[in-house]
Amino acid sequence: MTIRKRRGAKLGVGERRAVGAGLGMLAWLVGLLWIFPIGWTVFTSFKTEQDASAQTLHQGLGLGRYGDIAHSTPGTLSLQTAFMNSLVVVVVSTLIVLLLALPAAYALAIRPIHRWRDVLFFFISTKFLPVVASIFPIYVYAEKWNLIGTRTVLIILYIAINLPLAIWMTRSFFLEVPRELIEAAEIDGTSLLNQLRSVILPIAAPGIAATALLCVIFAWNEYFYALQLNFANASTMPQWVVSNVSTRGNFLAKLSAASTIACLPVVIAGWATQKRMIRGLSMGALK
Amino acid sequence: MTAAAAADATLPKGTARDPFSSAWRRRLPLLPALLYVVAITQLPFLVSIYYSFTNLKDKTQSLIPEPTRYVGIDNYKQIFSDPFFRQAMWTSVKMTVLAVVLSLLVGTMFAILLDRTFLGRGLIRTLLITPFLLMPVVAALIWKQQMFSSLFGVLNKALNFLGFNSVAFISDHPLASIVTVLVWQWTPFMMLIMLAGLQSQPADILEAANVDGASSFGIFRQLTLPHLRRYLELGALLGSIYIVQAFDAIDVMTGGGPGSTNVPYYVYQESIGGGFRYGSASAYAIVVVIFSIVIATFALRVLSSLFRDEDRA
Amino acid sequence: MQNRWTGSVRRRRTLGVALTVAVAAIATSFVAAASGGGSRQKTISVAIVANPQMQDIARLTPSLFTKKTGIKVKYTILDEGRLRQVTTRDVGSGGKAFDAVMIGPYEAPQFGSAGLIKDLTSMAKSDKAYRYQDLIPAVRNALSAKGHLYASPFYGESSFLMYRKDVLRKNGIKLPLHPTWQRVAQVARKINSSSMAGICLRGKPGWGDLGASFTTVLNTFGGTWWSAKSNGKPDKAQVNQPAFKTALDFYAKLVQDAGEKDAANSSFNECLSQYQAGKVAMWYDATVAAGVLEASDSPVKGKNGFAFAPHYKTPSTGWLWTWALAIPRSSPDPADAWTYIAWATGPQYLKAAGSRVKGGWASIPPGTRVSTYRIPQYKRAAKSFAGITLAAMKAAPITHPGTTKRPGLPGVQYVGIPQFQDVGNRCTQLFSAVIAGSIKDTAALSQCQNIASKAIR
Repeated sequence: MTIRKRRGAKLGVGERRAVGAGLGMLAWLVGLLWIFPIGWTVFTSFKTEQDASAQTLHQGLGLGRYGDIAHSTPGTLSLQTAFMNSLVVVVVSTLIVLLLALPAAYALAIRPIHRWRDVLFFFISTKFLPVVASIFPIYVYAEKWNLIGTRTVLIILYIAINLPLAIWMTRSFFLEVPRELIEAAEIDGTSLLNQLRSVILPIAAPGIAATALLCVIFAWNEYFYALQLNFANASTMPQWVVSNVSTRGNFLAKLSAASTIACLPVVIAGWATQKRMIRGLSMGALK
Repeated sequence: MTAAAAADATLPKGTARDPFSSAWRRRLPLLPALLYVVAITQLPFLVSIYYSFTNLKDKTQSLIPEPTRYVGIDNYKQIFSDPFFRQAMWTSVKMTVLAVVLSLLVGTMFAILLDRTFLGRGLIRTLLITPFLLMPVVAALIWKQQMFSSLFGVLNKALNFLGFNSVAFISDHPLASIVTVLVWQWTPFMMLIMLAGLQSQPADILEAANVDGASSFGIFRQLTLPHLRRYLELGALLGSIYIVQAFDAIDVMTGGGPGSTNVPYYVYQESIGGGFRYGSASAYAIVVVIFSIVIATFALRVLSSLFRDEDRA
Repeated sequence: MQNRWTGSVRRRRTLGVALTVAVAAIATSFVAAASGGGSRQKTISVAIVANPQMQDIARLTPSLFTKKTGIKVKYTILDEGRLRQVTTRDVGSGGKAFDAVMIGPYEAPQFGSAGLIKDLTSMAKSDKAYRYQDLIPAVRNALSAKGHLYASPFYGESSFLMYRKDVLRKNGIKLPLHPTWQRVAQVARKINSSSMAGICLRGKPGWGDLGASFTTVLNTFGGTWWSAKSNGKPDKAQVNQPAFKTALDFYAKLVQDAGEKDAANSSFNECLSQYQAGKVAMWYDATVAAGVLEASDSPVKGKNGFAFAPHYKTPSTGWLWTWALAIPRSSPDPADAWTYIAWATGPQYLKAAGSRVKGGWASIPPGTRVSTYRIPQYKRAAKSFAGITLAAMKAAPITHPGTTKRPGLPGVQYVGIPQFQDVGNRCTQLFSAVIAGSIKDTAALSQCQNIASKAIR
């Protein structure tokens, strides 16, 4: 195959394939290096505590630490309780976020209201107040209304912290719905709900899945509100993980095991939906 | 024709017998979300404003009960004479800008690498997202104990293996250590956004440019980058909003200190982190909110293209 | 069109399922939240710190306590920093989340004087099994204000010096039982090498981390944080005094010259790792470390020598810290809370725990009662350090830690005023930066002086 040199020096097929394979290998190398810390932590979780502290491997690998953390003393926060609490809080809050965000995004993208910029700005501005500052008023009112140590208070707060993001993202997916389809639906006289269902959602569905995943990630990993409001009851997974951190003694292997288990659900969810997430974020490619 | 104007044109006008004007019919779907957010976020905000004019402290801070009294703008006056707060703000700026810019850069590079097909692309992409899915506390602990540790940290072991001296990362370079953890966690997020941007390029235009004989670099510069601008801005906006509130990494890794205390950590110290001065902490928080609104207004309305009318390519 | 329709049906079904799940989940969560109270068995809620001894008692509570008394105990286990936040807020705002909370000698007298926790003296004295007189006097006094006991000690520690006997012997050095700081510094610099640092001293910011170690050094160098008025209130900040600078320079230079790597990030856990790995030859820290170093699976078992906390201008300098259980004033069930506390901090638990905890007799909660040090199995298991630990706790100078009068309530490694926590945190951040070499000592001291002065205005 002769290599034809044009303006800009294009490569021939053979060269291009070599470059492609080289870049592929580079991607592999970079990817593996990037997640090395995670891999190392998972590896540590199979060691004994002594080996973990000294980073040696004298005593072999095993599932001992996982056994330790799976069985908890009655009376202390167990993995099962924390998991259930997290699951309920995350699922309920994400569902309600979607329920509220979809119509809102409609009102900001499909049939935009007049002051859509101000509304979007307002939503984002709710994230400017540092969480550490708002905690005291929230604590005072939660105490007053007997919400300390309940799942409800976390659900309420997580909806509020995820809604701005959900509305921003859903709105940008709705913007990708072709104008002609909307106009056709309006000419047909379909109601808002039907428009959403039959026209908008099928196209924006991957993007909405992406948004839902982000809400799940942020809600599952949220630690500050959970600690400050649910220290005694309805504790969530992040609190369970941190309960393995001690001031007097290193329990690196146990902590690694706890971290691995705690992050596993979200990691699996992320892995399962990441393709959809990219497709969702790149709506334009469907044209 | 802009989106808003186009929408306006298609909407049936409200008639005399129609109780809902067209404007209100448009607003209705927005109301549940708007009312909810206003109720949940503005109530604490208003209470914080109220506290900021008092000397509210935790009851444990005085051996004899001290009544809470109104102190006017004393808390605010004190903020402007506080050198540590200025330092915290500067650290916040450095930390946020570095983390956002670096994660955008690295994320874009990863996205370019992953844009082409190669064996196992899906698997690598899947693995690369994982740091973003971890709890921030866990990520900070992993880096502090496994990677940065002077004695047993993997990085130092590697350095020693190559013949270099150990580096006390967290002691000597606190800000860089924290930025590293933030970039490590947020690069996957930026990568996903930029991948979406790359994959949403209209294939026909790219093909045409190719046929015309443009170099890959030329295509990238003239066609891809402008298209990516909107995605870069979205990534920068969302990343900034979350990274500016970074807290766990500082608490876990350095415990504060002149090199690494950012504004959220400083406010935390003032309130439940030891100071228990809720009134004064609220004043700091209000100042921060005002600053953020000013900066965000400038960034979004003047600089960014996100708020201009979208053109559907 | 075909695809659109099936898509629509699928969407409708998905939406329906989702809504059902949502409704079910919300309903479940409300039911779960509502059914919190009303259980037939009594349950008390206790907040404890995440130390191994506390994890042990949590594990033993069902078999040793619940079975006998029928009271279930629900533990909230948090690390020191977060426990303090949660308990301070709960106690300070009259929250009802806990029946008993674990606090230290810094909080106990302050909370007690402010009336935020219950006075335990009459209950403790009248309970024969509790054996009030058995408590180590220094510990008891540290948890009392004006003669009233406000918290019952579960765990106690002082500070002392631990060193590798074999390494010192190899260098021909013998340390006395009561060394001076100058002698210790000299030894550390002599045996310091690139593979093994001379000494490990805390450097991590925090009033309970670097603050504790440094304040004991400050005390014995004749310095202090604040001077005291005659009524016990703080008078003036003393950070700008020469004694303070001497102490800080001594500490920082010693760590820089002969101390552990990454010192600005090191506290108890980090020094423990380094010592066990043979990377430091000496270590000044909590007495409870001895139990870990002499545990059966410790790589340095049998190689350790112990000396009292180094001194200079004062005879004894070891700190005093205890984790003790207190009953908040707004506790929902104070009577059962006391039943629990009397068991958990009484002498019987210590005897029962020895044969039941994973680390054996050497890891039962130390430093609270004199009788602990008379248990034969404990004496045997903790032979090398039990005696010196008890002596250190008895000698902790909580009322006269330094050479001048202190303001506030008694304390060795802290100042017994509410403002110290914040001042200590901020100043130790600066001092840690001095150790790391990123700011000069004079800058740190002048900034700290400002902080300390403003705090007491």
